[in-house]
Amino acid sequence: MHSDFIIIGMYLVLMFAAGIFFSRNIKNTADYFLAARSVPWFWIMGAVWATNIGFLHGYLAHGGAAYEWGLIQANFEWFQGPFGYILTGLFFIAFYWRAGIFTVPHFLERRYGSGLRVIYSLAWLIIFVVTIAAELYLGGMFLKNLLHIPFWPTVFVLTAVVGTYTLLGGLGAAIMMEFVQFVIMMLGTIPLLFILLHFIGGFTGLKDILLSQWGVSAQYFTVLPDIHHPYGPGPWIILGQCFVVTIGWCAGHQSMVQRNLGARSLYDAKLGYVVAAIPKTLGAFLYVVPMIAAPIFFAQRGIFVEKADAAYGKLILNLLPSGMLGLFIAGLVSAGLSSIGSVLNSSSTMVIKDIYERFLVKGKSDHHYFIAGRIATFGIIVVSLLLVPVVLKVYLIMWLEQTLIAMVLGPFMGVLVLAIFWRRTNTPGSLVGFLTGGAFAIFLQQGLGIKVFFQISWWSFVVTFLVTMIVSLYTKPPRKEKVEGLIWESDFRAQLGKVLEQRAESNGIKVKEVPEIKIKKPPFYLNLKYWATVILLIQVVLLLFFG
Amino acid sequence: MKEKKGADPKMIVAVQMLSIGIILVCLGTLVFFLSPIGRMDPFVRICSIASNSSITLLGLFFIIGGFFRYKKAKNEN
Repeated sequence: MHSDFIIIGMYLVLMFAAGIFFSRNIKNTADYFLAARSVPWFWIMGAVWATNIGFLHGYLAHGGAAYEWGLIQANFEWFQGPFGYILTGLFFIAFYWRAGIFTVPHFLERRYGSGLRVIYSLAWLIIFVVTIAAELYLGGMFLKNLLHIPFWPTVFVLTAVVGTYTLLGGLGAAIMMEFVQFVIMMLGTIPLLFILLHFIGGFTGLKDILLSQWGVSAQYFTVLPDIHHPYGPGPWIILGQCFVVTIGWCAGHQSMVQRNLGARSLYDAKLGYVVAAIPKTLGAFLYVVPMIAAPIFFAQRGIFVEKADAAYGKLILNLLPSGMLGLFIAGLVSAGLSSIGSVLNSSSTMVIKDIYERFLVKGKSDHHYFIAGRIATFGIIVVSLLLVPVVLKVYLIMWLEQTLIAMVLGPFMGVLVLAIFWRRTNTPGSLVGFLTGGAFAIFLQQGLGIKVFFQISWWSFVVTFLVTMIVSLYTKPPRKEKVEGLIWESDFRAQLGKVLEQRAESNGIKVKEVPEIKIKKPPFYLNLKYWATVILLIQVVLLLFFG
Repeated sequence: MKEKKGADPKMIVAVQMLSIGIILVCLGTLVFFLSPIGRMDPFVRICSIASNSSITLLGLFFIIGGFFRYKKAKNEN
């Protein structure tokens, strides 16, 4: 066990030192918030996946749910996640790039005006702060239960490491660490599955024991169960979760999108997002499949697990030898830190770009906003730390996060789809539609008591879509020049450079400083369409076997 | 508002590659030396060595790639 402490400690020290070393290169806001627009596609691939995997959404929560409900939990990894990544990469990212923006709310302002930008930013800022607090809490509790170390010092050490590299190095440091964390998670935690299957007699043995000997329902091995499934009815997974929540998450979550906005070219941004679907698919082998096999291992060894959430910790403690255990815990810590770092960096970007620079203190020097970005990062760390005790005691805070996400993603998808596909959509329509959709989500949850999260998102999306259309039709259409370059047009590529130049000039930036848009034929092994096709075929095969 | 001259994107990627490589090599080597390889179950031993060596090897690739990119970016400046 001592060697495991040394491994985890050394890993944290290395990340801390690398963050400080990297921060010497950061000089202005574009460096800090968009990593000097230097990020290659493979960085984006690792960073997008690592951002999406944390204690909250990943090993502990998803692993615990898989332990309880079975393979249905893999629908995130084998169906909707890759679908969302590919669609966002192939389609939505280009619109964000074309608009020359720093944040997703910034895009909403370009298309619909400042009202929606403020509402959307504030909603996500609350979600982000709660997410950081919840990740810190879960990480602290996990390490406390596993290694018997005190809770608060652990939380402070985790905060100090992730806070330092994010505060000093901005997006570049966050992406760099996310790539390290991606490697450690992939290569350091995958042996668990092989070792576990080795001890219980392989995947065939696993299925045989669960289905034939234990009499477990066949739905335990189904990714998309029937409509009566209490945890995730299949049709609602497809409609609400896949088409609204997941795509909304991929295209509307500032942390996910920001990694692509920092790309060195549009092609890197798109390719990075598309190929991130590969680690996303493999993620099921890190925390879903091992948790399905875990009950057999526990039964063979006579190990009692009181709560599904504790199963993952018990499994690795009883299965992995010293050294491997340390590396594995480093992988789990990575998952938490990558999520915290990305959300922290995105929160500060939104605070500065969407609120401070846009409404509070306008026209200051770039250096002013650069320093303000670091102060905002520090402020968000402090607020999140103060929220950790609340997360400990009040269930309300987790409810708040879930409700806000349901309230935000359905209406966001409604106004985003219309923003791109319907020139006629205007500011009053989007504002009324977004607020009505959000209010309808609250009514469904509180008034009608609907618990299925993606059902709420789907109906709030439909309401937003319809209300936005109706109000837009009865009010003045937007000016042609306002929507130019922001909507779907047949001459998409021809407009790309022109619009970016116009946007840059209107912001007072010299055109030559705008990142170059590279549209050249890539080598076959980097062809976006080939990758997207191969990944989608893999999803089809997985669904044929486990659908 | 006028943007100040920012960092060189090529230099940023080079520094990132070097840092990632150093972290991975240090971690992979440390785990290798601290693991009781001899006392492990044979299958677990293979998994452990495969996992550590792949992390270390990847780290080495990043160090080499980062070093050359760093030199190139420095010469261009």
